[in-house]
Amino acid sequence: MKVSIYILSILLLLFNEAKSIDFSELKTKNTSFWFVKDNSIPIISLSFSLRGGSSQDPDGKEGLTYLMTSTMDEGTNKYSGTQLREFKKLNGIKLNISTQKNKIEGSFQVISSQVEQGFELLDQVLNFPKFNKSDLEKVLKQIEASLKIDQSDLSTLSNNKFNDIYFKKNNFSKRIKGTKKSLNNITKDDLIKHHKNSFNTKELYIGVSGDISEKSIKKYIEKVFGKFSVENMSPSFEKFTDLPRGQKVIQLETPQSSVVFGHPGLSRSDKDYFSLRLANYILGGGGFQSRLYKQIREKRGLVYSIYSYPISYKHDGFIMGGFQTRNKSVFETVNRVKEEWAKISKRGITKKELDAAKAYYKGSFTRNFTSTVSIANLLNIVQFYDLGKNYFSERDKIIENLKLNDINNIIKNKFNSDNLFFLIVGSPEKQR
Amino acid sequence: MLLLSSSGAIAKAKQFSLSNGMQVVVIENNRAPVIAQMIWYNFGSNVEQKGKSGLAHFMEHLMFKGTKKHPDSYYSNFISKVGGSENAFTSYDYTAYYQIYPSEHFEKIIELEADRMKNLTLTKKNVETEKNVILEERFQRIESDPSSLLDESMRSILYPNHPYGRPIIGWKHEIEGLNYDDVKSFYKKHYEPRNAILVISGNINLNKAKEIVKKNFSKIKNVGTSKFKETLDPNLNSQVFVEKKHPTVKQDIWKKLYRTDSYNKSIKRGIALDLGMKIIAGGTSSLLYDEFVNKKKIFSMVGGFYQGLSRGAGYIYFYAIPNEKIEAKKIDKLIMDQIKILVENELSSEKLETEKKKYLYDSIYRMDGILKPSEIYGEALTVGLKLSDIENWNKNLDDVTLELVKEEMLEFIENKNYVIGSLQN
Repeated sequence: MKVSIYILSILLLLFNEAKSIDFSELKTKNTSFWFVKDNSIPIISLSFSLRGGSSQDPDGKEGLTYLMTSTMDEGTNKYSGTQLREFKKLNGIKLNISTQKNKIEGSFQVISSQVEQGFELLDQVLNFPKFNKSDLEKVLKQIEASLKIDQSDLSTLSNNKFNDIYFKKNNFSKRIKGTKKSLNNITKDDLIKHHKNSFNTKELYIGVSGDISEKSIKKYIEKVFGKFSVENMSPSFEKFTDLPRGQKVIQLETPQSSVVFGHPGLSRSDKDYFSLRLANYILGGGGFQSRLYKQIREKRGLVYSIYSYPISYKHDGFIMGGFQTRNKSVFETVNRVKEEWAKISKRGITKKELDAAKAYYKGSFTRNFTSTVSIANLLNIVQFYDLGKNYFSERDKIIENLKLNDINNIIKNKFNSDNLFFLIVGSPEKQR
Repeated sequence: MLLLSSSGAIAKAKQFSLSNGMQVVVIENNRAPVIAQMIWYNFGSNVEQKGKSGLAHFMEHLMFKGTKKHPDSYYSNFISKVGGSENAFTSYDYTAYYQIYPSEHFEKIIELEADRMKNLTLTKKNVETEKNVILEERFQRIESDPSSLLDESMRSILYPNHPYGRPIIGWKHEIEGLNYDDVKSFYKKHYEPRNAILVISGNINLNKAKEIVKKNFSKIKNVGTSKFKETLDPNLNSQVFVEKKHPTVKQDIWKKLYRTDSYNKSIKRGIALDLGMKIIAGGTSSLLYDEFVNKKKIFSMVGGFYQGLSRGAGYIYFYAIPNEKIEAKKIDKLIMDQIKILVENELSSEKLETEKKKYLYDSIYRMDGILKPSEIYGEALTVGLKLSDIENWNKNLDDVTLELVKEEMLEFIENKNYVIGSLQN
């Protein structure tokens, strides 16, 4: 008896704090998806991802995935691009398919009274894109213009250069949008073939939240995703090896330099992932709280913004950071970052810092439950990274159980200021 | 831009005010145990004295520096510790501070927000260090970005007299000249309950909100002397064309900025103009996009929009990205000739109905989430609209006829208060 009362009180506690969400796992013929019914607002939000992304683009055809996802809604076997855009407007449909390094991600929303039309459009765009020559030409022009704008923008420019140098031979060095040259190597046949390969159910993850019944959503998921092939193009991901260290300067006439820095990290599935994430929160994450922020912005006014955050993929990860500062204070700021890095590695974090970080991570999670879009996204991500069906109830415990000593050991092993790499774009002044 | 649909679990906004003049809006939404809280002050860079540009934004930065009772970053630490997030922004007409946090901390966060309205303890050192941060911000956002420098020049021409012609962040030489005394007197003069609108959205009920807000804010007295009077700009008597050439620019961009009426003049006319602009130039389904991007393939992008949520004049913004090099004046002619044709021949009641439908759908989407509703109410109220204006928005939308849209668009075509900008290598 005692035992069951104990269990009951834990359940009540969890429920009271509303830190969990109740979802159902629904199955269709060739796939499954997670679903949260929410009729507080007449919207249905769907989020899906397909493992792969721009890192899988063939050599010499970088930008293939991006070009594909940018052209899919420009014309299908039933509708022209103009008709699709009109159809979206008339039925309150939002659809965005984007390419990231490790995945293709889709976000779809429809007003619930227009659900039939919404899924008709999603079906058309995902399963029957035409890749017409004139549409392709148009999209290519748009990408070319955006490549030129990226080159004119200091922050994007430095991020792209960092990407080229930091990942060297790893397929993550491939730029998402490709280059003018690589884009010109891509043919209509490449796109058709790539579409067929990419949209398969092997590594497809779907989350749905909104104003629809289980029965109906199953029907629509079947209608759209049931047409995906079951074969996998088997994306390949290699660990990041030989990440550069030290610094490199790319000269550019500009009043401020942009600095992007990198450091080895951990994959999302690593058992120490949360330790790394909390440690980084204290070091360079966390809004107005981090050591980098306090030391470099608040105390010395050297930058407007400075940050570091762990980027963790399924296969590996790294920590990325950045800031902009006037040319005279570039090296001073770089040195301060190195100092903070060395300091945390040597002395670790305090109990007080850890408690604050834990409280932040536990408290901030509920913010994901405030909209159907964020719930659908969360359902998608938890599946994509294979975090488990009980992640929503386990997450707090994982964080709570982190011990100061363990974290400090991980920090000691993981954070090393000698492993930092700084890319500086601008005209930094030599230090006196 | 505006307009919300209330439905299902999300209640209509309720409003009350305190004896010191502070207004409060509560939008109850119990989907998650979270609150989005915003305090909107009804002034921004528009109240700065000439020669002191950037002061309102400077003050926004300093609002995070602590009070006697809650020193240093006590407030920010508290927000983080409970898993909240926060930020602030300054515009021409308003300054706003917001926090999103678990609802159980409502009482404490209201107390902290009330405390910093009058009790900041600033030091000269705070002010000087923060000035460097702001200069870095100006370098990051403006000086390193030729496109922003061009926008700055265009605004200074379009608004030769009104504070809208000055950058919110301030001119570099004027930021450098701001000091501790400037900041102190600005704070005392403007940060007042009668200038504030508190908007609370999420897991909160009206009675609880009333009780806690009254307890913390009603004791704050108005002591400042701020009085705001709108300055008017003259008509532009000559057409100005601004060119910004910079070696880092790799893609030409053409821009055009118009000064026009705001929703304060007439909501219905504002909506008509907005709908007309959306049909002609809004997004990738617009007539202009279809003509120049899909058919003629002259531009890779073209579009425009109306922004009428302002205390003073509203504006219309147009841009185009040409595929080949074309002279800016020629681009202007291409676009304006086409707009004339479209307004005369292509505006139809069918297109208007589709656009109205989209407008309604968008209003539903805006209710998904808790920050957006606070933003909409806060912004509308601080620029001078009333709660009833927001509630009756739908009715005004219904009443907009095709004739009115055409009228507004023809007036826009005749508008000579504009400046053209060209960004080039």
